[in-house]
Amino acid sequence: MKALKLLSLAVLGMAISAPAFAAGYPEKPVTVVVPFPAGGASDMTARVTTQKMQESLGQPIVVENKPGANGSLGAGQVAKAKADGYTLIVGSIGVYAINPALYKSLPYDPAKDFDLLTVAVRTPNVLVANPNFPANNVKELVEHLKKNPDKVTFASSGAGSSDHLTAALFWQKTGTTGVHVPYKGGAPAITDLIGGHADVSFQNLGAVSNHIKAGKLKLLAVTAEKRNPTFPDAPTMKEAGVEGVEVYSWQAVAAPKGLPADVKGKLEQSLTSALNSPEVKGKFNDIGFEVVANTSGQFSEFLNQEITRWKTVVETGKITADQ
Amino acid sequence: METLSNLWLGLETALTFWNLAYCMVGVLLGTAIGVLPGLGPTATIAMLLPVTFGLPPVSALIMLAGIYYGAQYGGSTTAILVNLPGESSSVVTALDGYQMARQGKAGRALATAAIGSFFAGTVATVLLAVFAPPLADLALQFGPAEYFSLMVLGLVASVVLAHGSLLHAFGMIILGLILGLIGTDVNSGTTRYTFGFPEIADGINFVVVAMGVFGLGEIIGNLANESTRTVMAKTVTGLMPTKDDLKQMAAPVLRGTVLGSMLGILPGGGAMLASFAAYTLEKKVSKHPERFGKGAIEGVAGPESANNAGAQTSFIPMLTLGIPSNPVMALMIGAMIMQGIQPGPSVMTEQPVLFWGLIVSMWIGNLFLLVLNLPLIGLWVRMISVPYHFLYPAILVFCAIGVFSLNNATFDVYLMAIFGFLGYIFRKLDCEPAPMLLGFILGPMMEEHLRRTMLISKGDATVFLSRPISATMLVLALILLATVLAPAVRQKREEAFQEEA
Amino acid sequence: MSHVLQKKDFWAGVLYIAIGAAAFWIGRDYPMGTAGRMGAGYFPAILSVILMLIGLLSAARAIAQEGEAVGAIAWKPLALVVGSTALFGLLLPGAGLVVALIVLILVSAAASQHFRFEPKAAAGLILLVVFCTLVFVKALGVPMPLVGSWFGE
Repeated sequence: MKALKLLSLAVLGMAISAPAFAAGYPEKPVTVVVPFPAGGASDMTARVTTQKMQESLGQPIVVENKPGANGSLGAGQVAKAKADGYTLIVGSIGVYAINPALYKSLPYDPAKDFDLLTVAVRTPNVLVANPNFPANNVKELVEHLKKNPDKVTFASSGAGSSDHLTAALFWQKTGTTGVHVPYKGGAPAITDLIGGHADVSFQNLGAVSNHIKAGKLKLLAVTAEKRNPTFPDAPTMKEAGVEGVEVYSWQAVAAPKGLPADVKGKLEQSLTSALNSPEVKGKFNDIGFEVVANTSGQFSEFLNQEITRWKTVVETGKITADQ
Repeated sequence: METLSNLWLGLETALTFWNLAYCMVGVLLGTAIGVLPGLGPTATIAMLLPVTFGLPPVSALIMLAGIYYGAQYGGSTTAILVNLPGESSSVVTALDGYQMARQGKAGRALATAAIGSFFAGTVATVLLAVFAPPLADLALQFGPAEYFSLMVLGLVASVVLAHGSLLHAFGMIILGLILGLIGTDVNSGTTRYTFGFPEIADGINFVVVAMGVFGLGEIIGNLANESTRTVMAKTVTGLMPTKDDLKQMAAPVLRGTVLGSMLGILPGGGAMLASFAAYTLEKKVSKHPERFGKGAIEGVAGPESANNAGAQTSFIPMLTLGIPSNPVMALMIGAMIMQGIQPGPSVMTEQPVLFWGLIVSMWIGNLFLLVLNLPLIGLWVRMISVPYHFLYPAILVFCAIGVFSLNNATFDVYLMAIFGFLGYIFRKLDCEPAPMLLGFILGPMMEEHLRRTMLISKGDATVFLSRPISATMLVLALILLATVLAPAVRQKREEAFQEEA
Repeated sequence: MSHVLQKKDFWAGVLYIAIGAAAFWIGRDYPMGTAGRMGAGYFPAILSVILMLIGLLSAARAIAQEGEAVGAIAWKPLALVVGSTALFGLLLPGAGLVVALIVLILVSAAASQHFRFEPKAAAGLILLVVFCTLVFVKALGVPMPLVGSWFGE
C-alpha cells in the first residue's frame, strides 16, 4: 500500500505541478467547474484549454466535474460563487442558451449571473441517417417526411438537448413532422441509429465522423455555414434548400458576475493565448472542434441571439422539459 | 493465421517495459481503488484522465483498462470481507462471499474469486481476439425491444437472489423500481420524486444506495448484536481452496464465463446483468439451492467469473464500434479522442498496435492480478481479524469519503445516511436488499426501453413477440417465473426461510 | 405466538403500503399518456399500486399465519451510525476534512460497547486521518478542504 501511495502520488504529481511565478492574481489554484461528467465535450474543452492556461497563469487549474440537471446544478453553484477569478465554468450551448429557453425556473441566469469570457470552441451538427433509410439527401428526406407524417424517428441525446431542438427547428423550417426519440446521451442514440432501430438524427460532427467514414451512417447535410473539409461532398443545409438551420454546438467559459477588471483582463488574455496556440488548436481540430476564442462582447451578443432563437423554437414547437 | 500474427503484434506491444509498467500501475491502482469502498473506477479514471495526455496512446489505454478491471477485482474483495459492494456487479458476490467470510472461509472465497476471474479473463481475451467484429454486429441487433425483454428476464431472475420470503422478494424489487424512478425521466425530461433537489435530478447514484443499505445497515445490525455473537469466525480455515472446492467451482466458473462473455457484449447494460444472471443460473442448476445465501462457493465462483468476463468483453463494442457500454468505457473513448484517435470500426485496421496491444495487455493484467492477489489474501484475512469495534469506524470513513467523491457533493453523504437507516429497518423486517438493488438498477433502463420501443413502434406492443431475440427472452422469463412460483419450490423456500430464522 | 402488531410481515406490509401510497400521491400529477406514448406518470402509477397490493398481502399474511416478532430496535447504534455519517456531511465544507473525520470516527465508535479511550485507538484514529488526507486529498485530488471555511481561508 505504501508503494502504491507513492506511485499514485508520483503519477498525479505530473498533473498538478506547474511553475509558480505570477505576481498578484492568481495566488492559489483556480477551479474550473464542468457541469457535466468527465469525458464529455465540455470536460474535454476544459481540460485541453486549462492545461495550456496553467503555463501563463502560473498556478495549477483544477477541473471539477459537477454533473446534474442538464448542467444547471453546476452552473447554479458557480453563479453563487465568489467573483474572485478562482472559480470558472466551462459549459455548453445547453447551459448558456437552451436551458434558459426551456426551463421556467433555473438556479442561474446566464446573462445576469455570469461574466461571459469567451466562446472557446464550436462544432457543427450533421444530419445523419441509417444507411438503409430510403432518403439519400435532404430533399428526399423532406419529401419522405411529408408523405409519412409522424412516422420517421429522430433520435436525440435527450429531451431538451441541442440535437432535439435542432430537429424541432428543422421540422419548423421545412413544415414537416417526425417522432422525437430521446436517449440518455449521444452514444446510445448513435448506437441505435447504426443498428437501424432509429432513422435519422442531428449529431455533433466529431461524434459520428468515424461512423460516416466507415459507411455505418449516411451523411445528409452539415448544419454549418460552410462545407466541412473532412466531408467536402456533404452540402450545407442552405445548399440543400433549407434556410435557417445553421446550428453549432459550442463550449464557452464564464465566471461569476463582478470579476475585478484586472483579473478579467488576465483571464481573457490567458484564454485567448491558450486557445490560439497551435498545440491546443491542433488538439481541438483532431476532435472536430473549431476554435472560436471571441471577445466577451461578441460572446454576450451571440448569446442573446442564441437565447432568442431557441426560445422561438421552443415556443413554436411547444416543447417542454419542465415540471 | 491472421489472428496469430495479430496476437504476436499485441504481445510485442504489451511486453515492452513501459507498457508492462503502466499495466502494473493500472492494475495496482485499480485494485486499491476497488478495495476502498465507494471510490469507483469511473471517478479514478476521470481524475487520471489529464495525466494520460502525456503518455503514448497505447500506454494510456493499457493503464486505464487496468484500472477498470483491477477495480472490478478489488471491489469483490471488499464485498467478500465486509459486505460492501461498491460496484453493482459485486452485490451478488457479497451474498455468499460475505457469509463464507463469516464462517472463517474468507481466504477460500477470495481465492475462488481470483481464480475464477483469471480463468474468465483468459477466455474472454481469446474471444475478444478471435470474434470481436462479428460479436459487435450481434450487439447491434439489440434494439430497444430486445433490451426491454432482457431487463424483464433480469428482473424475474432477481427474485431468485432472495433466499427468504418470495413475497418480500417481489416487494423489494418493486421498491427498487420506484427508487429508480427518482430523477429526470429520459423520455419527457420531467423530473420525478426529486422534491425540488437538483442534486438528485439525475437520479440517486447506485453506490449511495448500496453503501447505505449494505454497508451502514450491516454495521448497525452487527452492533445491535454485539454482545450476543461475534461478527467474524475466530478460526480461519485455510487460505486456499481445497481440492473439493476446486471441483465444486469448476462448472460454475465455466458457466459464468460463457454467460458473462455473452452479456458483456451488449452495450445497453448487459455487463451489469452478468453477475446476477450467473448467480441465478447457479442457484437454479444446483441440487442444493438452499445453501445459497449461506456461503455457497458456487455463489462466488459463478458471478465472479461472469463479472470479469463481462468486463472484458464490454471492450468489444467500444473498440470495434466506438460505442461505450458504461461510463468507464465512455471515459476511455474520451481518452482516445484526446489522443487523436477516433474510436470506431477503423481502430482495428488503422491502429492495430493499439488494438492488439490493449487486448494482450488485458490478459497480462489479469495474470498480474492473480499473482498479486493470491499472496495478498493472507493480509486481507488478517485485516478483518482486527476487532470489529476498530474496523467499523474505518469502514464508515471510507464509505463517507467514497460517496462524497462520486459527485463531490455532501448531499450524497446525507442520502447514504438515510439509506443506512432504511437498510437497518429492512434487515429487521427480513426484507432482503439485493433484489431491491437489482430493481433499482434495471428499473430506469426497463422503463426507458419500453417507452422507446412503443414510441418507435407507434404503440404496437406486438413487436416484443414478433422480434425473435426479444420473444425468446420473454419466453425464458416466463419459464423462469413459472419455476419460481411452482408450489414445490415455494415450499422449499419456506423451509429455508424457517431455518434461516 | 406474537401479536399481529409485533410481526415482521405486518410492519413490512405497512412499509410497502406507506411508500406505495406516497409514491402514488406525489406522482398523481405526472402526465399518464397512452400505451403508445407513455407519459412520465405511467410507470410510477403502476408500480405504486403493485407495491401497495404486495403490502396488503404481507399484512394479511401476518394476520393469517404465524410469524416472527420484529424485536427490539437497536436505537443507540442506529442513531450514532446514521448521525455520525450525517455529521460528516455537515462538517466537511465548514470545518474541513480533519475535524469531520475525527467527529465521524468518535461518534460512530461510541456505538460499540467496547468504546473507551486507549492509546491503541487514538493511534488508529490519527493513522486513519493521515491516511485519508494523503490518499484522497493529496493523491487522488478529491476536492475536500483539509481545514474548512469556518476557520478562515
